[in-house]
Amino acid sequence: MTLDIAAAIPATVSKSRSGGGLGRYILWRALLIIPTVFILVTMVFVLMRTIGDPITASVGDRLPPAQLAERIHAAGYDRPILVQYFEYLGQVFTGNFGTTLSDNRPVLEVLTTFGAATLELAFFTLIVAFVVGIPLGMLAAYYRDRGPDATLRVFAIFTYATPVFFSGLLLKLIFGIWLGWLPVSGRASIATELKIQLLPKPSGFYLIDAIRLGSLEAIGDVLVHAILPALTLGLMTAGIFLRLVRMNMIGTLGQEYVDSGRSRGVSEYCLVTKHAYRPALIPIITVIGLQIALLLGGAVLTESTFEWKGLGFQLAYYLSARDFVAVQGIVALLAVIVALSNFIVDILAALIDPRVRY
Amino acid sequence: MKLSRTGYGVLALATSSALLLAGCASGGGDGGGSTGGAITVGTTEVVTSLDPAGAYDNGSFGVMTNIYPFLLNNPVGSSDVEPDIAESAEFTEPTKYTVKLKEGLTFANGNELTSSDVKFTFDRQIAIADENGPSSLLANLDSVEAVDDTTVVFTLKEGNDQTFPQVLSSPVGPIVDEEVFPADALASDADIVAGKPFAGQYSLESFDKGNLAAYKAFDGYQGLWGAAKTPEVNVKYFADESNLSQAIETKAVDVAFRSLSATDIEKFEGMDGLNVVKGPGGEIRYIVFNFNVQPYGASTAEADPAKALAVRQAAADLIDRDKISEQVFKGTYTPLYSYVPDGLTGANESLKGLYGNGDGGPDSERAAKRLADAGVQTPVVLNLQYAGERYGAASSEEYAQIKAQLEADGLFTVNLQSTEWGQFTKDRVADMYPAHQLGWFPDYSDADNYLTPFFLEGGFLVNHYNNEEVNSLIRQQLVTPDADERAALIGQIQDLVAQDLSTLPMLQGAQVAVAVDGVDGVTLDPSFKFRFGTLTK
Repeated sequence: MTLDIAAAIPATVSKSRSGGGLGRYILWRALLIIPTVFILVTMVFVLMRTIGDPITASVGDRLPPAQLAERIHAAGYDRPILVQYFEYLGQVFTGNFGTTLSDNRPVLEVLTTFGAATLELAFFTLIVAFVVGIPLGMLAAYYRDRGPDATLRVFAIFTYATPVFFSGLLLKLIFGIWLGWLPVSGRASIATELKIQLLPKPSGFYLIDAIRLGSLEAIGDVLVHAILPALTLGLMTAGIFLRLVRMNMIGTLGQEYVDSGRSRGVSEYCLVTKHAYRPALIPIITVIGLQIALLLGGAVLTESTFEWKGLGFQLAYYLSARDFVAVQGIVALLAVIVALSNFIVDILAALIDPRVRY
Repeated sequence: MKLSRTGYGVLALATSSALLLAGCASGGGDGGGSTGGAITVGTTEVVTSLDPAGAYDNGSFGVMTNIYPFLLNNPVGSSDVEPDIAESAEFTEPTKYTVKLKEGLTFANGNELTSSDVKFTFDRQIAIADENGPSSLLANLDSVEAVDDTTVVFTLKEGNDQTFPQVLSSPVGPIVDEEVFPADALASDADIVAGKPFAGQYSLESFDKGNLAAYKAFDGYQGLWGAAKTPEVNVKYFADESNLSQAIETKAVDVAFRSLSATDIEKFEGMDGLNVVKGPGGEIRYIVFNFNVQPYGASTAEADPAKALAVRQAAADLIDRDKISEQVFKGTYTPLYSYVPDGLTGANESLKGLYGNGDGGPDSERAAKRLADAGVQTPVVLNLQYAGERYGAASSEEYAQIKAQLEADGLFTVNLQSTEWGQFTKDRVADMYPAHQLGWFPDYSDADNYLTPFFLEGGFLVNHYNNEEVNSLIRQQLVTPDADERAALIGQIQDLVAQDLSTLPMLQGAQVAVAVDGVDGVTLDPSFKFRFGTLTK
């Protein structure tokens, strides 16, 4: 998976051409969320109906055609697709996402239960991405065109070009199987999960729930289980951050004010970590918006690889069960998350970056 | 260099923190961890619903078997049924099946379990008729009457239905509490767990769907299986069999049941500290011949029933089930030589003597002679379809073997193709496939479940096979109360179908569980039910 970083930055800047005040810009960006989500939901609705129905998927090899058709008819899957579509839109507009077909769960419950797990993974992932990507990007910029820089650039390409299911399996093999240091699946051990289940109203964020338990062992257990999934997904993002920080740091280090600081005897360390570092981080805000989509896409594979039971994990299950209702609900939520995060990033970029005019 | 030192310092700090966390946490190298005296079972099964009206799958039934009471059930080691929470159960008239409940039955929530709950249970199944539910198993049920607190009378549409007692032990049979379950809608899993409407060997204490279930022995259970031997059982659900395999290998779970890959099972058989337990399984894999579009089939240009039969029989002569069982499935599926799998009352090996070398092995000379005698030109071109998405990744290897075996002596040319499951189900009933793969898992452990759905008036296969003699015998065995007489009829049906070869039985799935040292009582029998209550640690 690759990302055209250079193309990502001007995209924000180009939006400044519309003119008008900040309020109008925000309103315009907010309105764009609606068609984005609408188009995605429509596409998923149509695509899901081209891969069969959940009844055939479940009992296609147990019932004669007449009985199968009877069940499909009773469920309404043989009605014209437009009728089903408008019925679905009507439900969505009234906040009713329905009940999953394959396991009889309210979709909203699925979204909240598994959404928490995915958000927790995203949180750990971003920590890895920041902790690894930013310092290494600075290091690469500092050693520009020398050995460490070349090594780090190769490392960056390697991390964001490696498919997460491959890097996930590799990490599992090394740290889980060969070395036996880290758990290879799940969000916590069975003992911890049983304790969390007994909490009044568990939040779904295992780290928060473990803290509520007041047990260091439980907190450590949750964190240890997060290491490999967070590394898998985080390193991919870290590679992108590394290259972006390096590129911007090199640009910033060549600025006159940096030269001026250098001539006044400011140490290289200070120049890199204080003066050049902050301006170089501004483009990262823009890229984070794009990374959310990439991260959620990667979460499907990462969660499946590590049995991290979040939205991505469930999406894979519901897809195999041809569960229209569940897939539509999850994809709609993911679309909203991506659109909203891009919206927030656009607004932040407009506020922070003076080059963006609105 | 100051910056480098800081960088290395950060790296060192991060590494040591990770190692410290690994040391702090209880479980390393696994997804589970010890849970004291409780037994932890790992599985890849999927639970659709805890409501018996909303689920008709192995994963859900695996839970229900252990938490709900049944009127009749399978004693350990048997495929036949006996009264469970019932005192007695019998046909009092050809269309009346009367069940007398034991006195003083209660649910785990303290509610009384009476005949009213039983009537409510079956009326509710029919009223809801959920698309994911098992209500179709009650097709022969006309009405249910609660005569008094402990007596229930089932009125059947067709008299003397010998499968009805089995139906009561099947996924449609769990008795539910009328004070917890709605009469005309499914109950949510959360409401069920909170309502504790359990009266089986165990009560479900907590349930995190797709992740973890915690069971506690129910001391009010008065049924056939007796008191549970282990007070607490946890079930950890895995999505991936490789993760389940790692969990049992690292002893994060005490027992792994359904499903482990054949390769992993073979590996565990030679591993210290792990014990592989095998038992007969109800799952079968088979090839369906479409009598219309197979070579020389009824709707082909060269239609000839005798030649078509010779083609099917020659295919049966050439198949080496042992080889597929050993090489592809490492013994986790065993050869199946008839329609009713081994372990069930009435099962025989009807194909063994009729085809191949007479002892289950292949015989190409016999196949060649059969084709020559019928005047069939060789090689016979056979289009064979399989659905790996539905029947597992091993299907491709299995069907590659079948192709190789059929083609080995030049008698067949097999065009092998895999199709996506949604398309496959449409095509198979639209006469698109001359021969295709299918599999079956029983609704209940009775031979009839392998005959009526398949062969009575063509059954669900829709392969244009219809033998009046077979139809008549199937109807006869359904209403024959004498067990020996019924078993003989079931044998005759298998013999007849074996001559016609509507389908070619291939393999029977073995049940396999892996337990760590110190865990005993894993019982895998022809009931195909996994009982937590027999486990000890």
